[in-house]
Amino acid sequence: MLELSGLTKTYGNQVRALDGVSLSIPKGMFGLLGPNGAGKSSLMRTIATLQAPDQGKLTFGDIDILKDPQALRSTLGYLPQDFGVYPRMSARAMLDHLAVLKGLSDAKARKQVVETLLEQTNLAQHAKKAVASYSGGMRQRFGIAQALLGDPQLIIVDEPTAGLDPEERNRFHNLLSEIGENVVVILSTHIVEDVSDLCPNMAILDKGQIVNKGAPQDLIDSLNGQVWGKIIDKSELAGLRDRYQIISERLTMGRVRIHVLADSDPGDGFEATAPDLEDVYFATIRAGYRAAA
Amino acid sequence: MFSKIAGFELRYQLASPTFIAVFAIFFLLTFLGVAIENVSVGGNSSANINSPLQLMINIALFSLIGGFMPAVFLASGVIRDKSFKTQELFFSRPIKEREFLLGRFTGGFIATVLCFASVPLAFLIGSFMPWLDQELIGPTNLGWYLYLYATLGLVNMWVVGSVLFTVANFTRSMTGVMIGFVLLLILYVVGSLIASSEPELRETLALIDPFGLNTIGEVTRYWTTFEYNSQVIAFEGLYMANRFLWIGIGLALLALNLLTFRFRTGSSGKSKKKAQAAVSGPKSAISDLALPRMQPSFSGATSRQQFLARVGFEVKGVVLNLAFFILLALALFNTVPGFFLGNGIYGTDNYPVTRVMMNIIGGAYAIFPIVIVIYYASELIWRERRFGFHEITDATPTPSWVFVTAKFVAMIAIIVALSLVAIVSAVLSQLAMGYTVFEFDQYFIRGMMELVIPTTLVAALAIFLQVLMNNRWLGIAAMLIFFVFSLVSGQMGLDHNLYLYGSSPGAPYSDMNGYGHFLGISVWFSLYWSFWALLLMVLAYQLWSRGALTPITSRLRRIFVGLTPATASLALIAVVGAGATGSWIFLNTNIRNEYISGPDQRALAAEYERTYWHLVDEPQPTVTDTAYEVDIYPDERRYTATGQYTVQNKTDVAIETVWISYGQGTTVLSQDLTGATLASEDERFLLYSFELDQPLAPGESLDFAFSVENANPGFRNSGNVVTVNYNGTFFNNFQSMPSMGIDTNRRLTDRSQRRQEGLEPVDRAFPLEDEHRHYENPITQSDYVTFRSIVSTSSDQIAIAPGYLERQWEEDGRRYFEYVMDRPILNFYSWMSADYTVAEREVDGVNLQVFYHEPHHWNVERMLEASADSLAYFSDNLSPYQYRQFRILEFPAYQTFAQAFPNTIPYSEGIGFIGDLRDPDDIDYVYYVTAHEAAHQWWAHQVMGANVQGSTMLIETFAQYSALMVMREEYGEDAMRRFLKFELDSYLGGRGSEAIEEQPLYRVENQQYIHYRKGSVIMYALQDYLGEETVNRVMRRLIDERAYSSEPYATTLDFLRILREEAGPEWEGVIHDFFERIVLFDLQVTEATASEREDGRWDVAIEVEARKFSADGEGRQTEEEIDYLIDIGVFNRDLEGAITGSDHVLYMEKHQINETTMRFEFIVDEEPEYVGIDPYNKLVDRNSDDNLSRVTIQ
Repeated sequence: MLELSGLTKTYGNQVRALDGVSLSIPKGMFGLLGPNGAGKSSLMRTIATLQAPDQGKLTFGDIDILKDPQALRSTLGYLPQDFGVYPRMSARAMLDHLAVLKGLSDAKARKQVVETLLEQTNLAQHAKKAVASYSGGMRQRFGIAQALLGDPQLIIVDEPTAGLDPEERNRFHNLLSEIGENVVVILSTHIVEDVSDLCPNMAILDKGQIVNKGAPQDLIDSLNGQVWGKIIDKSELAGLRDRYQIISERLTMGRVRIHVLADSDPGDGFEATAPDLEDVYFATIRAGYRAAA
Repeated sequence: MFSKIAGFELRYQLASPTFIAVFAIFFLLTFLGVAIENVSVGGNSSANINSPLQLMINIALFSLIGGFMPAVFLASGVIRDKSFKTQELFFSRPIKEREFLLGRFTGGFIATVLCFASVPLAFLIGSFMPWLDQELIGPTNLGWYLYLYATLGLVNMWVVGSVLFTVANFTRSMTGVMIGFVLLLILYVVGSLIASSEPELRETLALIDPFGLNTIGEVTRYWTTFEYNSQVIAFEGLYMANRFLWIGIGLALLALNLLTFRFRTGSSGKSKKKAQAAVSGPKSAISDLALPRMQPSFSGATSRQQFLARVGFEVKGVVLNLAFFILLALALFNTVPGFFLGNGIYGTDNYPVTRVMMNIIGGAYAIFPIVIVIYYASELIWRERRFGFHEITDATPTPSWVFVTAKFVAMIAIIVALSLVAIVSAVLSQLAMGYTVFEFDQYFIRGMMELVIPTTLVAALAIFLQVLMNNRWLGIAAMLIFFVFSLVSGQMGLDHNLYLYGSSPGAPYSDMNGYGHFLGISVWFSLYWSFWALLLMVLAYQLWSRGALTPITSRLRRIFVGLTPATASLALIAVVGAGATGSWIFLNTNIRNEYISGPDQRALAAEYERTYWHLVDEPQPTVTDTAYEVDIYPDERRYTATGQYTVQNKTDVAIETVWISYGQGTTVLSQDLTGATLASEDERFLLYSFELDQPLAPGESLDFAFSVENANPGFRNSGNVVTVNYNGTFFNNFQSMPSMGIDTNRRLTDRSQRRQEGLEPVDRAFPLEDEHRHYENPITQSDYVTFRSIVSTSSDQIAIAPGYLERQWEEDGRRYFEYVMDRPILNFYSWMSADYTVAEREVDGVNLQVFYHEPHHWNVERMLEASADSLAYFSDNLSPYQYRQFRILEFPAYQTFAQAFPNTIPYSEGIGFIGDLRDPDDIDYVYYVTAHEAAHQWWAHQVMGANVQGSTMLIETFAQYSALMVMREEYGEDAMRRFLKFELDSYLGGRGSEAIEEQPLYRVENQQYIHYRKGSVIMYALQDYLGEETVNRVMRRLIDERAYSSEPYATTLDFLRILREEAGPEWEGVIHDFFERIVLFDLQVTEATASEREDGRWDVAIEVEARKFSADGEGRQTEEEIDYLIDIGVFNRDLEGAITGSDHVLYMEKHQINETTMRFEFIVDEEPEYVGIDPYNKLVDRNSDDNLSRVTIQ
């Protein structure tokens, strides 16, 4: 559905935000995983027509996004990574105003859409309140509500769960997965669970490049038999770092659980561990850093 | 800890780019004002460039604007933590609250102090620039710098700083701070507005002005050039009180801050709200509602709907905001008092005619919409980004034009609303004043032309610059640069309206002439600039960053690439429209008329002087007889004239060459001097010479015939002719009628302009003793002439010229009038034509007439009464009235004066005709002006002063005296006090603006503050000493000797000779002081007590201090011994408002005052309340307010 090829974007200060990004994104949820500063938001903004790439092609179905951004906008829902709101404006009024901007011109139908979305996002009882007074989770739900206006075929949500509590995140995931059944939803995040919970397809972006992509399970399978875990004392960590390719370190009850990547049992008390998506993510990222170093 | 915080704050502020930028801006502005002659800050042309006065004005004015230094450096110290979201960080550290606050304040204040040092520093350095005119550089005294910097600059920074710091601390909002700053400014502006119209409140206002500007204005009100250059305002009296008052208020505010400051104030309210909202929420995680489905549509109708939604949204964003209403309130606060106070003469209001109301709106209100527009342009353009909402709106399918255009249209809506508010407040004010002649059409049209369109043009530029600059502050800075440039461009010679964005020639309004020809001019320029504004909006659209901000280079590249058919055709319409209207304007300003920039005009005048001035005293014939046929075409704003002069050689040599001059803008159609051939013609200066075949022998005469046209085609870039109008034509013979010799009015007289052109300074008048000039007329180059004129005009108008109407007829649909004067008059007269209503009255065989604009009927009767009273008094006391008729004629308010021609007084609609005399306590200035002009039938038209110093004393001072006598007859002695106080105040204030040197009255060099204002005071005191009858006898003798005399004309020497004969030697001292010297007094009551006697009467004891000074032309004062007869009075009430009768006078006698302090004791019948020395302010007293004192009852 959404085809990206060779997208490159360099900012004035010579930072390469996107470095030849090519991807093919089908219908359904698509997770874009990457550390902070990897270029996720640049890529999201580029797809959302808010920023032109220096090079590359970008199409959605029949739409050439770079040539005809307006055509994409009419079928786009976009939830930016960080957005503010106008003071003293209620959620309902704001949503109605945005609905007009999205082209929902029939007043009656628009009102219905707005009300349904407010219900859908559980904001109906707060609809009269100023969005400015909302909590983080409510504000994100308002964000998704506005992204859903006008029956979009492409929905981009950029870091939607940052700052949400677990319950709010859970609710948000449900909402997204419902939507993701018929349209393209790109979920950009640095939280691995978001992707593993929701996305049939994903890619990992690091330093402006796609460093890995595929179905989460395939990616996990590709690490079968290569991930080894061990619980150690903090003091041992420094020594082990030199010897092993450590992909994750996690404090657990005062000690450290590490995962290392190795083709065969590294011995030394390591146990074979079933890989998960986090291991894939860290292995990919760490590999990138090592290559760069 | 305190010093650490203060030090941190100071370092933080000093290292910020803001500090450097603000310092640089103030340094540069001050430096330019000092070092560049064309740029001046509140200048006074007579004082030195680096005088302590100029230094003081610079420091005072810049501390006014500079109030945003403390706004930035001090207020931000409190607000910063909130906006950078670091407040928790700071507030959670173990710092004592007071130390924190005091530290921030101290650091910020030191930064402010350092930053403001830019002003005196730049002034000091600027004054040493080598190119400055060294004539105007005085000594440098660093003490003055430090003193003024400290007492004026720093105290003001302290005042503004402590106020804004408090506002910041309590509101935690930068908007609050800015509003606080504007409020302080308004306090000052309203103060000075009131001070200028209500003199008795001046002292109070001087005391409470937070910036001390009204204070220094009050203290230096009567300073002279000498004092400006040699002394600074002393730290005493009002000034000291004002400074201590505000230092104290500042300290109190700081203490208040310290007592109430708590960390975490200001944000607590909000967090509570958030917490409430967060707790609620449904429990079920998965919702079961279907996703809404609605296909968006993308038709034109949708775009229109989006557009309207956006406009509403943007307007609401501006209007539903407290700041907007506060700005609006400030604008009204600055304007509405002006409706009630701002348009009076001698403290008497005018009727609030719509013309005046609109003028006041234009003067006091119009700046606010412009400020609002500049501010809100930045606000609207950056609104989405500021709230972080732009990525959402920019990703919607709404076309970009909707966003850009909606912002612009929202601005227009706001501008219209602001204009409406002003107009509604004007209408309500009219109602409040009981005035019900509402001219809604004038409000509408002038509101559009003067408020809505100019502000909209500014809005378009502001939006364009915001988009172009991609940065809010840069956009505002670019607007400021634009305004500064428009202010100084004229001085640089760039004054064509075609390239000064949004500018157009002035378009004054007149009730008589309506919009006249000016509306058309305004419409053309409005169209022209609207096309440019359209182009700017198209460019703004093309440059608009949707989504991420893009650097200017890549956007500029896109400008042409991104053109759609719609934008391309709009741009094309704009370019073609601007081109077409611009061409039409150019055709009018530069081809049908000549365009000469200001500096070129000056250079031309200099060239004229260099080329022709050697001819100035060349013997030339003098005009003795005149006859004109003038055809006025009001609809075409033109007139043609033919005329015959007889010119006579009154010199004692034969004349071979005759020079003839015409005023600028004249088309010379033909000219013929009998027995002479045209020898040279200079079309540029309209100067021609004729060689006589036979030299003209002394005493011989010649005929001169001419035909001219004053055409006024189209319109000019500036200075559009206001003398020939659709209704209300008023021009005199200097405009286009020929005169003999070169045109002496073309010479530059301003000293600095002459210096710039490398010309020597010229004297304003010939010396009094130059007897050769006693045979010259100072106004015309001829003497008394015979006059007759036929004048025709359109059939609906009446045309008037001096003389009596001999014949009147209609021909070819035009009206003809023939006026003949039956005795010789000065060779200076006017023609007028308008659709007049005539009021008429016959008094003692004299026909009195007022020709007026029908709606201005209010004071016509009063004018007739004043005319009758004046002619009667003057005929009885001076000499018979020489004419059978006395006519007053209204002319449009393009000029505001009344002027006396023989039996003909043109009188502006701006004075008198609209004066509101309904309150009998107000000064009846209509009566005064009418009497003054009537008196000119004697002073000017019977006795004319010679072309030497003192000539305007004979004309204007005596007209003032004569008018005062008529007024006193009508209103009584006590009513004169108020009028004379106005006159005294104007005289003393006028001294400070003297450009060269103050002359004693008998040598006055056409200095208005002397011949009108000082003249009134002196002549009133003179008749008070000598008696009215004695002075009138002097006047009669002068008229006997010099009436209609041109050989010689009268001089002040004649007057003083007769005066001395009539007064006798005992008045020698007074006459010498009054006329031949500059003498000032300082009289005051130092103590006044009273006690009741047993017989029920009262003992009064008065102690007075009396000093007398003489001053030189620069105003250098020397005290001398006093020995004067001066009034001592006792009253049972304050004289303020005591204007009728004399019941309040318990005692009033002249006493010989010959010691500095003296004591008087009287017995009076009633309980005394006030006593005074010279209580009626008859003498020139530099402090006329302490002459009167309340009595302490013992």
